[in-house]
This record gives sequence, structure tokens and C-alpha cells, in this order.
Amino acid sequence: MPERTLNFGAYGARGIKGYEAVARQLDALAGFVATPVTARRGLLARLRYLTRSDQSRQAARAAGLTVTDRTLRAWLRGERNPSNRNLERIETAYRAVRRQNVARYLVARLNREGRGTRVEFHPLNQSQVLRPRQRVVAYRTLNVRRWDRIVEAWAAGDAQALDDAWIYDAVVDLGSEWGQYEYVTNIGFAA
Amino acid sequence: MTDFDAIDALLAGARQEVPLPPAAERRALREGLNLSRTQLARALQVSPSTVAGWESGRDPSGEVREKYAYFLKGARTKLSASDPAGKPAEAETQVAGPPEAGPTVAGPAVAGPAGTDQQHRHGDEHGSGDGGDGGDGGDGGDEDVVALSAPQPCVLCGRPARHQVAGFAQHLDPAHCGTPERTPTTRQAPPAAPPPPPASAHPRPRTGGGVKVVTAGRRLKTADDPDLIAAAVSAALDQHGGDVEAATAALVRRAIPDAMALLDQTRKGGRYDIVAHPWLPDVLRKQTSRGPDQIWEARPKWTRAELPPGEFEVTALDVNGAYLSALKTHLPLGQLEHSTGNQHDRRRAGVHLITPPAWEHDAYLPNPIGSRDEPGPLWVTEPTLRLLLRLSGPKYGLCDPPEIHESWTSGATEGLLEKFRVALKDARDRAIAHDDDVTLEYVKAMYSKFVSTMGESNYNRELYRTDWMHLIRSQAFANLWWKAHRAYDEGLMVVRAMGTDELHVIGDWRAVFPEGRGVSEVKVKDVYTVGTPVAADRDV
Repeated sequence: MPERTLNFGAYGARGIKGYEAVARQLDALAGFVATPVTARRGLLARLRYLTRSDQSRQAARAAGLTVTDRTLRAWLRGERNPSNRNLERIETAYRAVRRQNVARYLVARLNREGRGTRVEFHPLNQSQVLRPRQRVVAYRTLNVRRWDRIVEAWAAGDAQALDDAWIYDAVVDLGSEWGQYEYVTNIGFAA
Repeated sequence: MTDFDAIDALLAGARQEVPLPPAAERRALREGLNLSRTQLARALQVSPSTVAGWESGRDPSGEVREKYAYFLKGARTKLSASDPAGKPAEAETQVAGPPEAGPTVAGPAVAGPAGTDQQHRHGDEHGSGDGGDGGDGGDGGDEDVVALSAPQPCVLCGRPARHQVAGFAQHLDPAHCGTPERTPTTRQAPPAAPPPPPASAHPRPRTGGGVKVVTAGRRLKTADDPDLIAAAVSAALDQHGGDVEAATAALVRRAIPDAMALLDQTRKGGRYDIVAHPWLPDVLRKQTSRGPDQIWEARPKWTRAELPPGEFEVTALDVNGAYLSALKTHLPLGQLEHSTGNQHDRRRAGVHLITPPAWEHDAYLPNPIGSRDEPGPLWVTEPTLRLLLRLSGPKYGLCDPPEIHESWTSGATEGLLEKFRVALKDARDRAIAHDDDVTLEYVKAMYSKFVSTMGESNYNRELYRTDWMHLIRSQAFANLWWKAHRAYDEGLMVVRAMGTDELHVIGDWRAVFPEGRGVSEVKVKDVYTVGTPVAADRDV
């Protein structure tokens, strides 16, 4: 079993990288504003979150929302509306700041004072693979105790670091066939 | 020439195999010394199952055979030295024993030479020889009775017993247990009581005072089965110094984690894993943060449109523990898979997009899909679909079969939550019998909160099975529908069916439903009168 799949899906297997599924689940746990940024309500909610304090303003600026305070005020009052490009920036900045803010709490909840969180690995989908090429890949569960690096990489939005952290902090503990779980349909856990 | 030397060396090295006593006696010798298979196996550096094989007819070979023969020989010498008095008496019991025991000893497990020298040396082996073989066969099957070569004091009455059940020496027949025929010092079988034949050698279940045993692989062990519910209740009562209200409140507050712990405990050794966070299709996801998903649970909300003229006494019946009973339903095990086409696989369960059939009996029976206002296809769950399929079948023929458009299903089992349900139901029954309101409230909170939070709830983050939640609820509604149908079938007039557990009927319902607090019984919620009294002069 090669540890990393080189040409995933060549025979019809379907799935996503494990770290993508983890990021998706962590995003779901982080709880972003549900209303889209294109709606007035969603825009205001994001802008308020980003301008709540000086610290959050700085964080927003660091996350790429480099507009003047005057513009922000105008957006908040509804005197002007952000352009599409700025809407995108607001959205990315909001997500980044929100991730950074909840990361501490997520780590604490996931580590559970060292007891860790049970993670379910739902194997990749082989329904489109020819029968002779199908392999037995079972549903597995694992208790992941150290989430610090995983959540840190997720909060920083660093896909490569998240991939590494996920593989080396969690997936390798599945044993010698961990390579089968590089791609999955779903990673299930809750905090 | 060297070839011949090698052969000569081989011939010189080959020894006659050491003779071993017959299989049944090997066991008797080991047990006579109170040695376990494991101890012997460790000494011989083999596995205990190998020793078990030798004792049931297989023969060791090579060096280990010599070791085993040495052990058996030593054991025999030791036994005959330590117990000179017991032997002759036991030899007599052999003579006095039932004649039909002979052929059994020479049965399949013990080869031809089994009898003679073994039984002369060890009379007591004779009586249990057949039982011993039965016990050996039982190791492979589900028999857990082991015949003892030497009688040991029965754990129940203290007199010598020739069989042990799960490691406890006891009499198989309660008639023998407690009849003072012999003192325990004479290690003898009572001659009046011939050893029971192995076919009937099942241990009688003793009610009260028995040790609960469970299977562990092929063997039995005493049940390591803590009663979580009773323990939690007594702990809470202790903590609150017997204050019932405070204890109940504390228990209800921790009902969800306790239910999850109970679920984990009841799934120990189970065949299937509980998959707590599966990938779910969009139909099972909430559209907005507060909105519902697309599943129609078929909650009944039906009132009979009109009554015949006259005044009627309506009884509002309440189904006890509706969600508790509904835990028994076909639950999908793994990830839901999509399929299209108008086929239903009974081995799978999930949610289905169907076009419901027209319902023409709304005047006297509720619609099985509930009070649906919108026409057109809808997503229903497995219990609703099965209800519709059953009603459209030849037995009932109440409607056309539903048309299934697409399905999200997975292989299903009805037994997934069965132990969980039975544990809760037993606790509930006990609480009712002992008038224990604390346990009753606690159990109620456990199952109702378990069902209501097993979806995407923040109160229970260990289980995200929206599909199960919908299926269990629908099962409760389907169960209520069947109760309504039964009432209708038995001649009662069904007036209302609403919610999970409420059924209003007119007529002698006590002939149809037993009244009580058990889950299969109903209780009266309300009795009221409806209709206009028929004027006496109208007939004139």
C-alpha cells in the first residue's frame, strides 16, 4: 500500500482528501453567519463582527480587508455598498478572523483535557470502480487526542500544513493501512 | 552406505509411541488434581485449546505426547495414593449404575478401548463418562454443562454434585438439590439418582438468587453487566439525601449523556457499529438554520369529519411510551446510498421520495401519511413507506401502492437499539411495579431526549443521525396508526388520532386495548361527551 495516493480516481474511486473533510467539519463547528454576504443582513453581520473592536479591525486588516475606516463606516451606514470584489474580501476576512477567534475554544473542546475526540473515517466511494479493482476499505474510528496542530493549521488557512498535521497527528494512528484513508467520503466528529 | 546409516539411525531413534489413557480419563485425571487446562497447557507449553482437544479425543504426538503421558501417569499415581478409600466405593456405583450408560460411554467421542481399564481404575469416571463427552461436545456448541469426574459440593445445597454449570458445581435436577441422601464427605453419587442423560442436561433457570451469566466466546462467564439506570438513581438519591424532587431534577438534567453511555454499554459485543457522524444527503439537512429538512414524518393530526346522530362518550386514550416502543424499527446502518426506481428492498431502510396514493377512507380512518395539505411527491421514511406498502397489499387493500421515485437507503437492522430499548423498558416496568417515580421520570427523560436530540442537536453531540430520528418518530406515528386501525377493525369508532400517542375512540375500548401503564397497554387521558342527545319524541 503506497502511503500517498498519486493518481487518485484513475479507476473511478471518489472521495475528498481527509484534511478537506476535516476543514469542512471544523467550519461547520465554527458556525459562520448563515446569511450570504450578498444579502444586506449577512453583510452587516460580517462587518459588525469585523469592526467590533480595535483588535478585530486589525485582524480584519491582516486578513486582507484593507479599506479605510471611513469606507467601513459608509458600508455600515448603508451610504455605499461594497463592490463585488470587496464583498469577496469581506467574506474571506470574516471567515479567517472567525476561525482564528474560535480556534482556542475548539482545541479545548476537541482535546477534552487530554481525553480526545472520537473520529469516524468513512471510506472512499468505490461504487464506480470495476469489481476486480475494488478493495475492502472498512469504516474505522479513532480517538484523536492532540488537535492543536490540526486546528492551528485550519485557523491559519494553510492547506498544506493542515494536510500534514491531519496525516501525522491522526491518520497514521490507523495502522499500516492508513494510506487507504488519505481520501475519504466523510470525516465525522463533533466538539 | 551413508544412506543406510541414516536409515538405521532413524530406525533406532524411532520409538514406540507412549500409550495414553482414553480421552475421557485424561480429563478426569486433570480435574481430579484440581488443575485447569490453562495450568496444564502452560506446563506442557501448548495452548489450552490443544489440551481440550486431547481431552476430547485427539492424540498428541512426538515429544509433547511423552510429556503428556508423564503427566497423566503422575496424576494417576497421585490420585490413587491420595484417595484410596473413595475408589472401591465408587467402583460399586459403576456396577450399580444404569445399564444404558455403557453404550453411551463407547459413543463416538471415545474410541473402542475407552471402557475397560479406565473404568476399572476410576469408577467415578463411569457415571460422568457420557456426561463428560456431552460437555466436550458442548464446548463447541452452546451447552455449558460440564460433568465433573469427582463430585464437588453443590453451590446451592452443599451436597456432592456431579455437574458444574459455568464453573459452579450444582445439581442439574432441582429434585436432587436439597434431598439429604449423602453427606458431602463421602465422595459418591447417590445411587438412587442415576446421572441424567446428556440430552436433558440443560440447567434449569433458577429464579432469584442465581448468578447471571453471559457467553464469552464459546465459554460462559458471570455477567459483568452493571445496571446503569439503577446505579444512577441510587447515586442521585444518595447525593441529594433522599430528596426525591432534587434527585429527579438532577437525573433528568444528565439524561442525555447517560442515555449515550447506556447505548454504548448495550452495543458491547454487538455486530454493528453505531455510526454517529455519517455523510447525510441534502434532503436530511436543514435548509436554513432554523428551518426543517425535507422529510415528512407523517405525524397524524386527524379528526373525524362527522359523527352519526346521537350522543357519544368519547375516551381519549394515551399510548404509553410511544417513542420507547418506536425504538424498534428498521434503522439504516451505514452511509445512505442513492437509488432510483419503483422498487423497495426489505433489507434496506432510509428515506424515499414517493407519490402517496389517494386515500378514500378519510371519513373513518386517518390517512397513513398524515394531514398533508400539499399534493405531489414527498420524502417519507421507511416506517411510513412500509405502512403504505402493507396497506396496499392483498391483505388490507386499502389504497394503491405508493410510487417510489428515488431513495436514500442503507442496509438495515431492527435490532440495533433493541437491547437499549429492552433495558429502558425493563427499568420502566420495574419502576412502575415498585412505584418508583424517580426512575420512571429518569427513564422517560432518557428515551424521549435520546430521540429528540439524536439529530443535529447541540445538546447531544455524540450522535448526528437525523435519519434515525425521523425514522423513529415515523415509527411511533405508524404504531399509532395501527392502533387506530385496530380500534376500527374491532368495531370501535375512531374519532381522533393526533400527535404521537393520542387516540380518541367511541365504544367499548377495554375489549380491544388492555388498560394499564405498560408499553403494550393504554391509559385513559380524558373522557368526554360529544353530540346532541337524540330527542325521545323524534322517533314518534
